[in-house]
Amino acid sequence: MDKSNQDKAILMASFAKMDPVALAVALGCISGFIIFLATGLLLIQGAPEGQEIGPHLALLGIYLPGYEVTWPGAVLGAFYFGLMGVIAGFVIATLWNLTHYIYIVLTVARAVWWKMMAD
Amino acid sequence: MTNTSTTDNTAVEYDKVLLHASVKLNTRLLAGVFGFVSGLSLFVITYISMYRGMPDTGQYLRLLGVFLPGYEVSHFGAWVGFFWGAIIGALLAAMFYRIYARSIPDLIKAYLRDGARNDDLLGMPMQLSGHYLGLALGTIISAGLVVTTNWLVIRGTADESTHAQLLVNFLPGYSVSTVGSFIGAIELFIITYVLSLLFSWIYNNVVAFRGKK
Repeated sequence: MDKSNQDKAILMASFAKMDPVALAVALGCISGFIIFLATGLLLIQGAPEGQEIGPHLALLGIYLPGYEVTWPGAVLGAFYFGLMGVIAGFVIATLWNLTHYIYIVLTVARAVWWKMMAD
Repeated sequence: MTNTSTTDNTAVEYDKVLLHASVKLNTRLLAGVFGFVSGLSLFVITYISMYRGMPDTGQYLRLLGVFLPGYEVSHFGAWVGFFWGAIIGALLAAMFYRIYARSIPDLIKAYLRDGARNDDLLGMPMQLSGHYLGLALGTIISAGLVVTTNWLVIRGTADESTHAQLLVNFLPGYSVSTVGSFIGAIELFIITYVLSLLFSWIYNNVVAFRGKK
């Protein structure tokens, strides 16, 4: 096996670019699914007569206007969390790629600098 | 040669030193990014809680002070939260990547076994391993539950921890006790592992779909 090919395989496996769109879609879907599931689970379990269902989860309404532990609230929560997941996924992937670019640029710049100094 | 690894089953060789250096670098970068993002998130959430205009500011958020010494919902507390968020975020990210990086040798072997040409490797988007992602996330989240629950047990406030007890709604058998924490951790690990498989499946399929286009 060609040594340069082996090294490239290692570098690509370690430093492959993350796809921001794919990560945004995946994180958005999973985040929305989790909050829908969590809300739905509380609704299915129910609460004793006269008591509110999921009063603590309902506190998410402080941050997500309109969210409550009801089926329409579960859909709205899934939308909010989906949206936040999309944004977070895109930002995480972009930051991951960006930090690698910055590191590579700094490494190359340092190598060029030392070569110039040596010359 | 000490710096070359050969796997018997695939007869694929690769430079172990280069791999180790790559993993080390990625661990540092990920820890740095996640530390910053976690710290900033806690900082922002604290300020949102302060200025949201609720009657009892930070009634629940301030409970984080049980786990993060010095944290409170105030201007100073926001900075303390930033500090702890950064430290914990960085540590968890480093632990996560150290476990997830075990998937990289398999990926290298797959690249080399398939005889990928140099040009094919360049520019290839990352593929996620659902199995290793599940292992890494599952381990960290489950360990987090065990540590936080047992911290409540050790400080003697397990009986008063009514909010932690609410986890039983999602994790049957969980309780604020040592045994309960392990039951909850096993359930949480399974849930996280399954969700990680689903997450990776979605990600890899979107990558493949975009690649075809």
